[in-house]
Amino acid sequence: MASTKSKLIKKSTRSDLITYAMVLVAFAVVEILKSTGNITSLLRGLLVPLCMYSILAVSLNLVVGYLGELSLGHAGFMCVGAYASSIFSVVTQNTLTSAWIRFPLAILVGGLCAAIFGVLIGIPVLRLKGDYLAIVTLAFGEIIKNILGTIYVGYDSHGIHASFTSQSSLNLEADGTVLINGPLGITGTPNDSTFVIGIVLLLITLFVILNFIHSRAGRAVMSLRDNRIAAESVGISVTKYKLIAFSLSAFFAGIAGVLYSHNLNVLAATSKNFGYNMSIMILVFVVLGGIGNIRGSIIAACVLTALPEVLRGLRDYRMLIYAIVLIVMMIMTSSPKAIAFWETHSIKKLFKKKNGKTEKEAQ
Amino acid sequence: MTFITNLINGVSLGSIYAVIALGYTMVYGIAKMLNFAHGDVIMVGAYIVFALTSYAGVNPYLALVISMAACTLLGMAIERFAYKPLRGASPLAVLITAIGVSYFLQNMALLIFGSQAKSFTSIVNLPALTLAGGKITISAETIVTIIVSLIIMVSLTLFVNKTKPGRAMLAVSEDKGAAQLMGVNVNATISLTFAIGSGLAAVAGVLLCSAYPTLSSQTGAMPGIKAFVAAVLGGIGSIPGAVIGGVLIGVIEILSRSYISSQMADAIVFAVLIIVLLVKPTGILGKKYIEKV
Amino acid sequence: MKMSLKKVLAAVLALTFLAACFTACGSKGTGSSSSDGKTLKIGSSGPLTGDAAAYGIAVKNGIQLAVDEINAAGGVNGMKLEFQMEDDEADAEKSVNAYNTLKDNGMQVFIGTVTTGACLSVISQTKADNMFQITPSASAAKVIANDNCFQVCFTDPNQGTASADYIASKGLATKVAVIYNSSDAYSSGIYDNFKAEAAVKGLDLVDSEAFTSDSKQDFSSQLSKIKALGAELIFLPIYYQEASLILSQAKNAGITAKFFGCDGLDGLLNIENFDKSLAENVMLLTPFAANATDETTKKFVAAYNAKFDPSTLNQFAADAYDAVYIVKAAAEKAGVTGDMSVSAICDALKGAMTEITVDGVTGSGMTWKATGEVNKEPKAVKIENGEYQPMD
Repeated sequence: MASTKSKLIKKSTRSDLITYAMVLVAFAVVEILKSTGNITSLLRGLLVPLCMYSILAVSLNLVVGYLGELSLGHAGFMCVGAYASSIFSVVTQNTLTSAWIRFPLAILVGGLCAAIFGVLIGIPVLRLKGDYLAIVTLAFGEIIKNILGTIYVGYDSHGIHASFTSQSSLNLEADGTVLINGPLGITGTPNDSTFVIGIVLLLITLFVILNFIHSRAGRAVMSLRDNRIAAESVGISVTKYKLIAFSLSAFFAGIAGVLYSHNLNVLAATSKNFGYNMSIMILVFVVLGGIGNIRGSIIAACVLTALPEVLRGLRDYRMLIYAIVLIVMMIMTSSPKAIAFWETHSIKKLFKKKNGKTEKEAQ
Repeated sequence: MTFITNLINGVSLGSIYAVIALGYTMVYGIAKMLNFAHGDVIMVGAYIVFALTSYAGVNPYLALVISMAACTLLGMAIERFAYKPLRGASPLAVLITAIGVSYFLQNMALLIFGSQAKSFTSIVNLPALTLAGGKITISAETIVTIIVSLIIMVSLTLFVNKTKPGRAMLAVSEDKGAAQLMGVNVNATISLTFAIGSGLAAVAGVLLCSAYPTLSSQTGAMPGIKAFVAAVLGGIGSIPGAVIGGVLIGVIEILSRSYISSQMADAIVFAVLIIVLLVKPTGILGKKYIEKV
Repeated sequence: MKMSLKKVLAAVLALTFLAACFTACGSKGTGSSSSDGKTLKIGSSGPLTGDAAAYGIAVKNGIQLAVDEINAAGGVNGMKLEFQMEDDEADAEKSVNAYNTLKDNGMQVFIGTVTTGACLSVISQTKADNMFQITPSASAAKVIANDNCFQVCFTDPNQGTASADYIASKGLATKVAVIYNSSDAYSSGIYDNFKAEAAVKGLDLVDSEAFTSDSKQDFSSQLSKIKALGAELIFLPIYYQEASLILSQAKNAGITAKFFGCDGLDGLLNIENFDKSLAENVMLLTPFAANATDETTKKFVAAYNAKFDPSTLNQFAADAYDAVYIVKAAAEKAGVTGDMSVSAICDALKGAMTEITVDGVTGSGMTWKATGEVNKEPKAVKIENGEYQPMD
């Protein structure tokens, strides 16, 4: 069965279908558990974050795995998406009362704003290479976080006011509304994020990014990664394709930000949620899931997001164990010796001696 | 007058960044990896000095020497157990492992020393220098920091250029394979680099905590990142570049805090980094790399 | 597709792992409704790791101490108290996870969270569950927006205004400068109200200097500016860890101005190895003074220091200790029993909160408004010879 199928469908397409199926099965399992009431509050609360981190990991994998550039500022785009959509939702909450209209618009606003930032930052940054590019993206991410974490913005009949010092220096009229309240951020964003929307957004992300990778533009991007000079010499525009991939990635990071901001009551830019630590965390998902492996990104994002929660029973040793697990997992999956070990010990060989049929199924 | 005080404070802060950045830059030059755990080795170094002086009553200078030795061993151990298995793996895998090591050290310190910040007694026991009739006050820590940084930079440059193990480092950083063929023990050289870098981290930790006398498990994190920025700004892999980058970052940070905006100082530091890298993509003293087809 | 052993192992690991997540929490979750009525489960969340761990651990100790004392004395309405603390890393997202974990473990009363940002993201959850919530230390005014949430600490506006009033009415200074953490909700909240009240009271606010959580080590530029402007008093609406740095750098810069702070400064004298002479003459408004001579405080401090690391004792621990006794008083008033549902407990406690008067270590005769705000008097103290001395 498996062998006939592989003749009809391209290998890459089959891999993509497995990815979609995995997400749908996970969704179905959770929905069944939900309807039978067998789901814990913890898991219920984690559902939207799991979708969000999966989207972030998939979108960063486009830059790291397919464009071949190390970006440490992914959380910055997420931050832009979160703030833009939150402001949109708060402002339009009274006019657009239906969440069915408002939230899709908010998602678009968040994604587009992040994509615009992606283009603006991408133009200068993508001229750099390697670790220099990494540090500049980190710098941009930190600047975005720093500015949004300290700015006060409000509006009244005279227009929009902004200040970096305090709420009172906004000098708002009596009818004014404070939009961003400095370190307290934005409160009152409607809780529109649901698991269903999260899954739909994840599927859309997968669909767009997987199709992009297999498209002409995607192949151009990969050729840039593998050999820039050779790609350039056959007429592939470096800037154009790099920018497309980078801003597409930023767009989906922005969407993840929308999920984030519409899932929690309060949105404030701190080093915990939008700082370089978060960018690195997303990178960990990508690297652990396998660079260029979209399905792996989703699995790694889910496992590593849930890991600290599962380890809660360890009390004070929780984060210490988490650190050790991270190091061990990295060495187990990436060290040349381990890779050689895994390659010589395939499951095929283990079962070969016992049963001929297993071999075929494993393929 | 305030400007001069600010400038001196900036140079002092920058000198600490410079010493930390030296560790980053050496490791990067040899092992081509961003050792994100470097900032946390600083914290460990400071904790060791703190524990020895406060709990065991050891002379501060002796404590510093012990701490340097301990950090040297720690650096070599981290290299041996966490990074060496990944030699030849993707640089990203090493980067993530370094982050794991960083979390590990922070949480270990939290478990051992507790969550409360400790107050660090400065090991510099000299009165502050007053100039221009009390209008400028320079603390002794500032002066010592600047001098120590200069000494470290000069001796490190001499070591790398004039001694045999130092030249082995240069050779390994140029071309690992060729160096090995010429009889350089690459593993030992990388180990030595980590040893020196971590020993310097202990010094940096003590300087940092003498100037800013608070010590918690997070002490090394932010200075570590800023020093990393400094190393990149100066041209990562370059010893004088790290010092120039460190001092520049310190001065820019202090001056922008005084004259532009105290909230936005970090953003300004990062903005300067971006501008410099856009003009000179490999940092101020970085080597231009030629791309081969 | 090559099915390598690695992939199989990874898949198996991931599956067992997720299964563990479902079942481990699931089995506990079912226990929530079947409380036997003999225990009352108290939960709390706060940062136990990371930058703000000092505050979370103080709260954990404070609650534990009170719970042990109450259980030893026979419990509340014959019920034993059970206490669980979860780490929320002072993060908005993690705090929701921590809260949900507590809920899965059958929490009935929530004493938390420790920090403001985390608290703001949890309040809608506690509101939806109708879970009684009392926060020891999250001080922003918005924290108590819902009717099921009460505070033990003062709100930020309250502290900012009280500080300006005190400085003006005692004539401590006319030229005042402020150093505050612009990336922290507590600090900027107090600053904003201090600034407004200072203008009303005719204080001359010569300079407002900010710093952020990313650069809280070097204060030299802020201090040299303040020195040049000749401020007589520096107001520090910040936490003690940064304050200890400011004090030492101010000494190095030759600054002679007075220092005045809020409850965040409490804990300064407990910093291990801190040179207490630096804190000489620092004034602060605090609800809690560890060397106060009243019986409650003396008993609390002695018990705390016997049981925990004395350097972790600060107003967070005191607020948390009080929070448990407040819950006890309210539960006794309302006749709460452990077999009541979470929502029924909340409604009962909510009603009782406005009727009780509690004498705690952070204030005597504390009462609450239905809004959730506490009514107590801050004490102004001055540090002399490394000890708090009451001011009047």
